Amino acid sequence: MRLQLIAAAAVVTSTAYADGELSMRGVYYKERSTRVIQPMLDGIFDAGPSGTVTGHLLVDAITSASASSGAAAAEPFTENRYEGGLGYTHEFAGPEESILDVFRLGADGKYSREPDYRSFYIGGRAEAELAQKNATVALGVGLSKDTINNEGAQTPMGGPKLLCDNTQAVADQTECPLDTISMFTSASHLLSKDALIGVSYDIAKIDGYTSNPYRTVITTGGPVAEKHPNERLRQAFAISGRYYITDSKTTLIAAYRYYWDSWDIHAHTPEVRAIQEVGSTIEAGVRYRYYKQDAAFFWAKRYPDPATTMIDYLTDDPKMSPFDGHLIEAKLALYGETFGFEGRWAGARFEGILEYIVQNNRFGNAVVAHAALTLPFEY
Amino acid sequence: MVCGAVRALVFVVTAAIATSGCAVVKAHQRENLAKRAMTKDRDAGESRFGQHERGSREGADGGTGEPGGGCGCN
Repeated sequence: MRLQLIAAAAVVTSTAYADGELSMRGVYYKERSTRVIQPMLDGIFDAGPSGTVTGHLLVDAITSASASSGAAAAEPFTENRYEGGLGYTHEFAGPEESILDVFRLGADGKYSREPDYRSFYIGGRAEAELAQKNATVALGVGLSKDTINNEGAQTPMGGPKLLCDNTQAVADQTECPLDTISMFTSASHLLSKDALIGVSYDIAKIDGYTSNPYRTVITTGGPVAEKHPNERLRQAFAISGRYYITDSKTTLIAAYRYYWDSWDIHAHTPEVRAIQEVGSTIEAGVRYRYYKQDAAFFWAKRYPDPATTMIDYLTDDPKMSPFDGHLIEAKLALYGETFGFEGRWAGARFEGILEYIVQNNRFGNAVVAHAALTLPFEY
Repeated sequence: MVCGAVRALVFVVTAAIATSGCAVVKAHQRENLAKRAMTKDRDAGESRFGQHERGSREGADGGTGEPGGGCGCN
């Protein structure tokens, strides 16, 4: 019951006046050739009786054997990526005696910068709770403006020249744009006092430079710069369900996602999670996720010499190859009351996550570890 | 392809609105539905890192309600 009250308090944090939550998280990621350390700070604050402000800051400290993200032969590199984001959501009450209970409008933006990649995103979202809050529908749009350059592989002769537009004959650029327009819609519905279901659909249209500036493809005629199509249309449909078993205080979550795009990649992702309340202030969870995709239409194990054979696109990206993988995760969350803390620290949430990823392609297996502290406060 | 996408979009929204008339759970029956694990069991930072990691390793990025960005690993 105590855990339930704390959890309920966390849920209503976003609507109670002058409440907030600050979360500090550190993530360690390690795969065969890349290590990432990412400290981050997330905040959510009430702004008046109907507004909520969210914000985040993070640093990605990346050390990799290759700037070309999985290339067979490349120079080691180290770089930092900085990201900040801000969002605001305003809640409106629906008209009395109508099916519309609550309506929310929100907007958010984020900016990310690393030496060879800049990204600016802005998005809007509308959400409505209907039929005595038994159903929620949402619709969102987003726009990303990215810029890629060749800073990561500078030599006294300069970095590799980029072919921003595939219709050009010669690669002579040092910086290329990449634009994304995206849209999503989602809906969820309560099925009973212990169960709910949700569906979502996403679409994103990408225009611009989608290759890696540093990756080269080994052909029978020698190494050639990677060349991906300039356009990509990505779509995904997902469905998920949650069920609470009262007797054992266990939450079961099942999800499935199907993805397809104009590069002929199709992917299936089923996932199951179980979260167990242990005592009154502890939650323990396990998760299993399976992922399987087929290859992009232009992916090949070996390419002929482009000088003698007509080839539109070439790739050495492991993400374009057919592969599958498994993820297993263990998660433990403890509230401050577990340790006898009082006041605001009683509601503090300590969280640890350990993931192991098996991936059957050149990226190989990976380990991810999270440590986080979330502290509620009033102001 | 775009027509298919619009049809899927219309289907999801229509299905949601059509089923929203089935008010089966009253407010006082939502004790279990209000639990953290039944609402949002992942913090924003956890979800964001997971999305970024998948975008770096898998070809099927997206489908999470928010586009990625800021990763030089197309």
